[in-house]
Amino acid sequence: MTTLRINGEAVAVAADPATPLLWVLREHLGLTGTKFGCGAGLCGACTVHVDGEAVFSCLTAVGDVEGDVTTIEGLSRDGDHPLQRAWIAEEVPQCGYCQSGQIMRAAALLAANPNPRRDEIAAEMSQNLCRCGTYNRIFKAVARAAKEA
Amino acid sequence: MSDAAVTSLDMKPSRRAVLAGTGALVLTVGATGLAGIARSDPATNDVAPNIWVRISVDGTVTVVFPATEMGQGSSTSLPLILAEEMDADWDRVRVEQLDRDDRAYGNPIFGNVLYTAGSTAVAAYFTPLRLAGAQARQVLIRAAAKRWGVAPDSLKTEPGVVINPANGKRLGYGEIAALPDVPTDVPEVTEADLKPRSAYRLIGKDIPRRDAPAKSRGTETYVIDVRVPNMAYASVLRAPVEGETPQSIDEAAARAISGVLDVVRLPDGVAVVAERLETAFAARDALSVTWSERAPARKFDNEADLEAYAQAVARPQDKPAEWRAEGDAENALANGGRVIEAEYRSDYAYHAQLEPMAAVASVTDQGAEVWAGTQTQSWTTRTITDVLGIPADKVRVHMMTMGGGFGRRTALMQEYVRDALLSSRAVGRPVKVVWTREDDLRHGWFRPASVQLMSAAMTNDGTLEAWRHRVATPSVIKYFNPLRWSQVAPKDIVSMRGSESKHYKIPHFLAEHVITERRARIIPWRGIGAAYTSFAAEAFMDELASAAGEDPIAFRLKLLADNPRGARLLERVSEMAGWGRKPSETALGVAFAGYGNTMAAGIAEVAVDRETSQIRVPRFWAAIDGGLVIAPRNAEAQIEGGIVFGLSSTLKERVTIRDGEVEQSNFHDYEILRADEVPEIEIAFEVSDAPPSGMGEAGTPMVAAAVANGFHALTGRRLRHMPFTPERVLAALA
Repeated sequence: MTTLRINGEAVAVAADPATPLLWVLREHLGLTGTKFGCGAGLCGACTVHVDGEAVFSCLTAVGDVEGDVTTIEGLSRDGDHPLQRAWIAEEVPQCGYCQSGQIMRAAALLAANPNPRRDEIAAEMSQNLCRCGTYNRIFKAVARAAKEA
Repeated sequence: MSDAAVTSLDMKPSRRAVLAGTGALVLTVGATGLAGIARSDPATNDVAPNIWVRISVDGTVTVVFPATEMGQGSSTSLPLILAEEMDADWDRVRVEQLDRDDRAYGNPIFGNVLYTAGSTAVAAYFTPLRLAGAQARQVLIRAAAKRWGVAPDSLKTEPGVVINPANGKRLGYGEIAALPDVPTDVPEVTEADLKPRSAYRLIGKDIPRRDAPAKSRGTETYVIDVRVPNMAYASVLRAPVEGETPQSIDEAAARAISGVLDVVRLPDGVAVVAERLETAFAARDALSVTWSERAPARKFDNEADLEAYAQAVARPQDKPAEWRAEGDAENALANGGRVIEAEYRSDYAYHAQLEPMAAVASVTDQGAEVWAGTQTQSWTTRTITDVLGIPADKVRVHMMTMGGGFGRRTALMQEYVRDALLSSRAVGRPVKVVWTREDDLRHGWFRPASVQLMSAAMTNDGTLEAWRHRVATPSVIKYFNPLRWSQVAPKDIVSMRGSESKHYKIPHFLAEHVITERRARIIPWRGIGAAYTSFAAEAFMDELASAAGEDPIAFRLKLLADNPRGARLLERVSEMAGWGRKPSETALGVAFAGYGNTMAAGIAEVAVDRETSQIRVPRFWAAIDGGLVIAPRNAEAQIEGGIVFGLSSTLKERVTIRDGEVEQSNFHDYEILRADEVPEIEIAFEVSDAPPSGMGEAGTPMVAAAVANGFHALTGRRLRHMPFTPERVLAALA
């Protein structure tokens, strides 16, 4: 039994310690906002925070998690994080599947760098793939959130 | 909604008396027009003027969404069209996903099959949904008129209310639905009754997409997210080569893993079913399977196969299938002045939709309940009834929002759905099948490879007289939907679209299809044929302009004398990009393509890193005419996404096949465009009087040629094999 702290709550999980955090979040706990895209840290759809740092939950063994985990469900209380408001205002999502990971990546970026330049946004966000091609709107939304936060 | 609603698909409006009573009214408005009347479930108090819409006594207006949502935004745009004509209060409109194969709602462009593809949803449903909305509005007006004892003609509507201008009285749509005596005759409506564009309150305005909040909060549910009580999980070890079957299965190690429920033999694979997903993956890795290893597909080899296509295009064995012809191109080429030829190639491409294939099925003695993310209620239902041998009325389907489609989820037989069904039946529990990315790529169905021979004859003064576009590629339809092939053969729109170059006027024109042997699993891919035929056509057009010594835009404009809409796009994009400047570190390339009736002119700014031989596209401009634009911000997003998709394919994407096996496995060896590689993109719409003609794919086809042409402007060299990988760029520069 592994005990995790997820979105501010202590959670006991009966999973093999080697199990990727992604499957624990999604299938054991039903936190399906975090997505599976590649299982290899290549697409970023599974991005969550551990102690505020963006990590690939598909590559993070649940037994290795020592800090507080934050998922898209816990990013804000009512889904109104400045980035989420900006994402809606800029109408970023198309299929939407990558967007939880994009928002979590952007949230970690803004926490570390509240006013990133466009090239800094592009460099950081290039860890996350979007097949619908929403990248330019993501840049706008991150810039908007930085301004309005 | 009543099952009795399906009656006929008559083209003509009809008017019939409805059954008396207090139940809701249902009038079928098939996708091709208005049909008959039936009575809905008397248990509800909703007023349902037709099969598309119901008005509840609380004022909620429920609109049926007949397509499926994969990111293109139709789940907002289609209900919006109905709401516009109905004068519904958009904030009170609820969207109901059509979850069954009911052809009364079918896509008329696809013979009323429930099928969301080819950028057709808005174009196909634009008129039926407007008629349905106008009819609903008339029903409400008549009910109010009866209540007030006035003539219907004297009343008007504003969003959600009927108003009597003479005395200012108002009745909300919900209040009308609650009236005891809603008239039971259903008014006829025709296109003449529809609003003029100038009266639109919703269409063409920036009404936000309905799904943006859920998709920004992680609360949208995709099929891969579905969890049902007592659900187990399955992972499938698939045959490495198409057509092979498991000969012997050593499942002892897999079964020894705690939590494994069963090992299920499938036609082309072995499924492991377990209590947990991670267990299913681990147990599948523990399987040892001997495959038949004798399939003809063992000989599939992308390089050798492309050479065979090149031979076929140069010397077709059989007469090619004519795709479009004007005049006599063969004769003109044989007797023409200056004949120019060039061969273009393109490789297999993968959809890379970010949600890997998944499905959930619960099979019992009573029937099947299935959760699926596909582009077709019809073929998903057919897959289920075929696999289980049960009638459609024993099937309950839930069509889920998709994490990208791009054509991947269109097939007649959906193997991911089949595997969930067979696994569930084996263990007697609901089962979720989840493909890994490796499964999704290695067992992908791809955009076909092609070799295209372009031939043109020009007069000495540089006038284009004759054009032949010969495409050697397999028939996609024959493979992914043999049922449809039996209806359309030998004309394959999926393989050939774009090669018709119909927006230009060329006196002698021939586009023809050398139908080659299929050497991979193939299926529609964003832009279908135009993703590669427009590359060849528009890069070749640039070669002709060079040969004529003319500016590429001026050369094209001569061919657009009868197409002022198209000419306007080239002029507009030329202004946007500052066309005509001298190449320096970068150069500009133009292309004029689009998709179907939607025309697109694009200009790429191209740079080449001489150290790495990598092409960079810092900026891209596009001018688009897709007729009426329903949702401008979403249309812009679709075009922009289409450009990014096209650029990704142009520069990077390539599936290779050796000994029948796909060599790529994940995003490290099948790379798609990342955020730091995306151009700044500027898009302008020319909104013409034409009806809406689709936005989902129109951005993609122009990109490869624009980049190739920009590369030529910069370096003087041609790129004729897509993708333009560093190796090919290096070879072109040598």
